[in-house]
Amino acid sequence: MPITLSVPWENELDDKRSELKKIIMDTRTLPTLPGVINKLNTLAEDARASVQEMAKIVSSDQVLSARILRLANSPSYGFYRVSTISNAMILLGVNVVKSLALSSSIFEIMEKNSVGLWEHSMGVGVAANMIARKLALPECEEIATAGLLHDIGKVIISLKCSDAEKRILSIVRNQEKYMIEAELEVIDTDHAEVGGWLAKSWFLPDKLSEPIAFHHDVTRSVNHRIKTAVVHIADVLVKASGFGDSGDSYVPPIQKAAWDMLKLNDELLADLVDELEDKLVEVRNFSIEMQG
Amino acid sequence: MQKIPLMLATAGMVLARDVFRNDSPTGMPICGKETVLTDALIARLDHLDVQSIYVDGHPLNQDGERKLEDLLRDLDHRFEKVRQDPLTSKLYDIYADYLKRSMGE
Ligand SMILES: [Fe+2]
Ligand SMILES: [Fe+2]
Repeated sequence: MPITLSVPWENELDDKRSELKKIIMDTRTLPTLPGVINKLNTLAEDARASVQEMAKIVSSDQVLSARILRLANSPSYGFYRVSTISNAMILLGVNVVKSLALSSSIFEIMEKNSVGLWEHSMGVGVAANMIARKLALPECEEIATAGLLHDIGKVIISLKCSDAEKRILSIVRNQEKYMIEAELEVIDTDHAEVGGWLAKSWFLPDKLSEPIAFHHDVTRSVNHRIKTAVVHIADVLVKASGFGDSGDSYVPPIQKAAWDMLKLNDELLADLVDELEDKLVEVRNFSIEMQG
Repeated sequence: MQKIPLMLATAGMVLARDVFRNDSPTGMPICGKETVLTDALIARLDHLDVQSIYVDGHPLNQDGERKLEDLLRDLDHRFEKVRQDPLTSKLYDIYADYLKRSMGE
């Protein structure tokens, strides 16, 4: 029997990574991208297009509108009874509605297959919004959306590479590693990078794609480091609380860069924990309602 | 037996007591004990404005009923990789303190 000199595992890694990237960058293989999004994109470039015009386009797709409104009424935004798309656009902003439209089919999958990840994501959306408001930052809704979407790469990995996902989860369990370490071992990339690819292929603005791509390494964010820092801290807080299930149960370290950038201190952190624990009860109820 | 909010009821749970209408606890029961809950039944009870029900066993593990020591053990487990980290250990202390306060200690 001839002995092969090449290491098959190495090749498999390379293949896996480029294959994954190809799959993700190819929007045709993504869960149905609503046709109205393209129209919306073209319209959004036109500065003269009114919110009303854009709302009309989204409203023409009833299933999509229903999904967007459901998300717009979730505790991540703290508005209740947003009843029309044009209201959602005014209250949340066109960018947010667009990204919710894009994500709605992915959320649909997440809700059914991974309640834990759905709850984690909702929790981080709520926490990010809460931190942004506490620090009086601009664009709280965008920050909440970035929080809601931050781990969307995990859904893509699960959808497109379910075998790899199984290996990742077994490494997390058996070797007690962080999910992100296990991902690097198995697919030579991680959910943050994958989420970043997805955000790019969807033409999401930097203020959403950077927090998604860099929430585990804030210093790599170039244009939206503060938003990225907020999402990072929100993620750590929700993991600390033990709310939801994002794949592993280990709290990641708070990055010094994020702590400094947001000028956090012990007192502020204690206030945030108190407030978050109250809000998470609401998220739990919302999640239960959604599944009922 | 455990009293649970109807919102947390799921199909398959078994009623441990008769369910009465909210506004007439002495009248005819809407639903007898030992009935196995279904989604349709839960929806009907919800429609009749029933707030809570008694079910067999102890299906819900609410935080309020868990012991502080269990909660602290879970917290230790979650923080096991970052206890030496100066910033993250602050968060550990805050959470440990929060749990003690919320459990009334
Ligand atoms: Fe993450
Ligand atoms: Fe996360």
